[in-house]
Amino acid sequence: MGLLSWLIVVPFITALAVIFTPARKTAWIKWISLVGTGFHLVLTAFTTWRFWQLAAPEAASMKTAQLMKLHLEERIPWFESLGIQYLLGVDGISMSMVILTSIIIFTGVLASWKVEERAKEFFALLLVLVTGVFGVFLSFDLFLFFMFYEVAVLPMYLLIGIWGTGPKEYSAMKLTLMLMMGSALLIVGFLGLYHVSGMNTFDLTKLAEATFPASFQKWAFPAIFIGFGVLGALYPFHTWSPDGHASAPTAVSMLHAGVLMKLGGYGALRVAVYLLPEGAKDWGLFFMVLTTINILYGSFGAITQKDLKYFTAYSSVSHCGFVLFGVAALNLMGMKGAVLQMFSHGVMTGLFFALIGMVYGRTHTRMIPEMGGLAKVMPWLAVCFYIGGMASLGLPGFSGFVAESHVFLGGFFGNPWTDATIMRTLTVIATMSIVVTAVYVLRGMAKVFLGPVTDPHFHALTDATLTERISTGVLVATLAVVGVMPFLLIDLIEASIMPIVNRLHASGVTVALH
Amino acid sequence: MLMLPELIVIGTAFLLLTLDLIWSDRQRPALALVGLSGVGAAIAATLTLMPQSGELFGGRFAVDAVAWWFKLLFLIAGGLTIALSMDMLDGRIGAGGTQLGSRGEYYVVMLFNLAGMMYMASARDLVSLYVSLELATIPLFVLAAWKRDAQSTEAGLKYVILGALASALFLYGMGILYGLSGEMRLEAMGKAMQAGPAFWLGVAMLAAGVGFKLTLVPFHMWAAEVYQGAPAPVTAYLSVASKGAGLALMFHVFYRVLGPLAGHWDLALAIFASLTMTVGNFAAIVQKNIKRFMAFSAISQAGYLLLGFLGKPGDGVPAMLFYLLVYIVTNLAVFGVIIWYSNHTGRERIEDYRGLSRTNPLVALAMMIALFGLAGIPPLSGFVGKFFLFSIAAKAGFHWLVALAAVNSTVSLYYYLRVVRQMYIEPAEAGDSALRVTPAMTGALAVTVLASVILGVIPYFYETVSAQTAGWLQGTLW
Repeated sequence: MGLLSWLIVVPFITALAVIFTPARKTAWIKWISLVGTGFHLVLTAFTTWRFWQLAAPEAASMKTAQLMKLHLEERIPWFESLGIQYLLGVDGISMSMVILTSIIIFTGVLASWKVEERAKEFFALLLVLVTGVFGVFLSFDLFLFFMFYEVAVLPMYLLIGIWGTGPKEYSAMKLTLMLMMGSALLIVGFLGLYHVSGMNTFDLTKLAEATFPASFQKWAFPAIFIGFGVLGALYPFHTWSPDGHASAPTAVSMLHAGVLMKLGGYGALRVAVYLLPEGAKDWGLFFMVLTTINILYGSFGAITQKDLKYFTAYSSVSHCGFVLFGVAALNLMGMKGAVLQMFSHGVMTGLFFALIGMVYGRTHTRMIPEMGGLAKVMPWLAVCFYIGGMASLGLPGFSGFVAESHVFLGGFFGNPWTDATIMRTLTVIATMSIVVTAVYVLRGMAKVFLGPVTDPHFHALTDATLTERISTGVLVATLAVVGVMPFLLIDLIEASIMPIVNRLHASGVTVALH
Repeated sequence: MLMLPELIVIGTAFLLLTLDLIWSDRQRPALALVGLSGVGAAIAATLTLMPQSGELFGGRFAVDAVAWWFKLLFLIAGGLTIALSMDMLDGRIGAGGTQLGSRGEYYVVMLFNLAGMMYMASARDLVSLYVSLELATIPLFVLAAWKRDAQSTEAGLKYVILGALASALFLYGMGILYGLSGEMRLEAMGKAMQAGPAFWLGVAMLAAGVGFKLTLVPFHMWAAEVYQGAPAPVTAYLSVASKGAGLALMFHVFYRVLGPLAGHWDLALAIFASLTMTVGNFAAIVQKNIKRFMAFSAISQAGYLLLGFLGKPGDGVPAMLFYLLVYIVTNLAVFGVIIWYSNHTGRERIEDYRGLSRTNPLVALAMMIALFGLAGIPPLSGFVGKFFLFSIAAKAGFHWLVALAAVNSTVSLYYYLRVVRQMYIEPAEAGDSALRVTPAMTGALAVTVLASVILGVIPYFYETVSAQTAGWLQGTLW
């Protein structure tokens, strides 16, 4: 079994180990989960190193390549007569997403240290979910991809329904059904790709060699883009996200907002734009408009929220808008920004939800007006919150700045297929959201952490425990490292985005490649 | 030799009849084991004889790859149903009033029905088709009324009346086609006919007959009442075996008889499929009784199954047979839990399942996996099977139908999640404690649930079906 299979299997084995642990031993369950995810983090680091060794020498040649290059490939025929295979591989984009997921699940387990109710089922489901996420990022056969995609979505229903707060059953059902509607669109698009290509394969790298007729691309592109967009909180299909994130337990919010929503942007880039360049050119502007609404709507939505979780969830909608905005800009800068934003927002929002969980665990309220002066009693959490907030409003020095500046530059550079004036106007409008973000982030932080302590009970509260310090510390460090040395990440992903851009420029001119 | 599996089944039935007569009540629980071994022997015989084809009685009885697969599927369904019914018939748990009587006759009637379905898969002319169809239907009427209380009797009566109507329509349709073609042999009929008004009338009659068996909308009305009223094991059997028989019948009618005129009915089938899955799904949402709920779920599954008829049989036949296999094991896993639960408590509303994950976590897990399988959630075989069927429709160019089917899967997920929610999210009622699971039930549930997982992960099963049946009828009709 290859390295990449291990990356998928390790969380699953951990989940099995959790299942076979007696339910009373909650401490064991947590330690098993922590060791499993910690080991995964090490494995991810090793894989990154291996990947870098293989990919770095090729970076120059990828500048003109039109087909993506997979490394550490594993290929086993599966349903042979239908051309379905077990195909794993990794390129820069998926590598960065795997790193993100590995960090989030490790810190998520730490942030869930206080879960006592049905802990066994909780950790098992969490690990199964993350197995699906790793599977999506590493599989390059559309059938396998789709399979993992749904595995990543469904455990959410139980995780929110059982361990959630507030209107949890409603939120869980809404989230599950909306995401499944998205995958209904995906299945139509994928089957269309499979049959129209006539190649009897679901292999993404092979399908990229086919030329799809323009009439097909015209309807398949929006189907696939919206299918993924539902998960990426594309306006107006984002409504599951605030409810879902607000009701979910801490680790689930972290994982969902931090990683799962990235599957949307990832798929839109990898499948929709890469395979259907003509469709992307036709629909690019349409989706830019939608994502601009996304960005503004999310940030204005966040201003009015009183509940910290709703506040962060709306801010996520806005930030995920940047991802799809970058993808829809259809140029190197925009797509690079999109991937950077996926990573950066993943870490940032993971940090936010972890902190909110920790604060809520102490104050037993998430309502912003009821809190105040918390920095005096929990300085560690307050500082982490400030850092997350600064990254969120795009302060230079943190990853958010790098990502957002790329996305906006991408929007401003424009592309040959879209009216430059309209694109620039949209970009300018979207940029306004930074101001709005500053307003809500600063106001929210000031109310919650600064000023006098409003409630006398708050004096008795404690600061972060050791597990919480590790969890938040890792996330803050990641934000800062990427912010200060963005080239680490950019080098990793740039060579892998080139084929997508090159294909956009080449299609419509060249003849069929196969 | 080619008829060996059928002969074994009928032989077992007669053996059971005799044993039931001479055995004392204390010995009678062994009847189920005799029945199971008979079915097991028939399965073994089928597997040995499997890929070969041949004819008996001047071509009135013939076997080919598809017929063997149908027989195998029927036998699997029958065997599993016997395993699931044992507890209820032997009164092993029985919380008062849930026991079914006359177990000897029960198995005998069921085995006769099984033999009827197997003969039907091999029937090649109008007479043998109709006779075997009746043998595959009439025992079901009897089984539906087995409990002899008001509900069960009502179910039986409704089933008889509507079933007789469907048979009459089918017979009428066959009469018309016979009159038009002057042929008795199914494969010769299609070649001898031209499409015309009388022909279409006949086809419509046949479609109604088939639709009744397969619970296609608008011929589905009987299903909800009969499923709800019939005893749980009978409902389980009805939902898989009767549906399988419907599919076999449809293969005869649409591939053998109408095959040469294919292309005329693609759109009509697509409309039937979309109606069936949509009506089934939306009606299932509001159900409170779990058996009635499963009836509508089964209706919608028949709608997915129909997608396989679009396009060429080389693609569709393996996908449909595979899905039928998946559906049989998955649906029987759900019904296993339903039988077990109503046997213990006598309750069959969906709310009654609340808190099951606290009291019987493993049973709840089995039920959840099976329900997710029916909803088509990966990596379960339900997903794989559905994906292949959707793929057939996409290949035939029916992208709108794929979209509709996929949306329907989402709707179905909603109502399957309602049950999951009762089991996992709602707390158990005070005083509920773990219910005993008998060895027979454990075995049957383990087999069905494991099968519903493994069929989707290991490609061997699909590849075998595909390799044996993809070339079916090629060269003769197409």
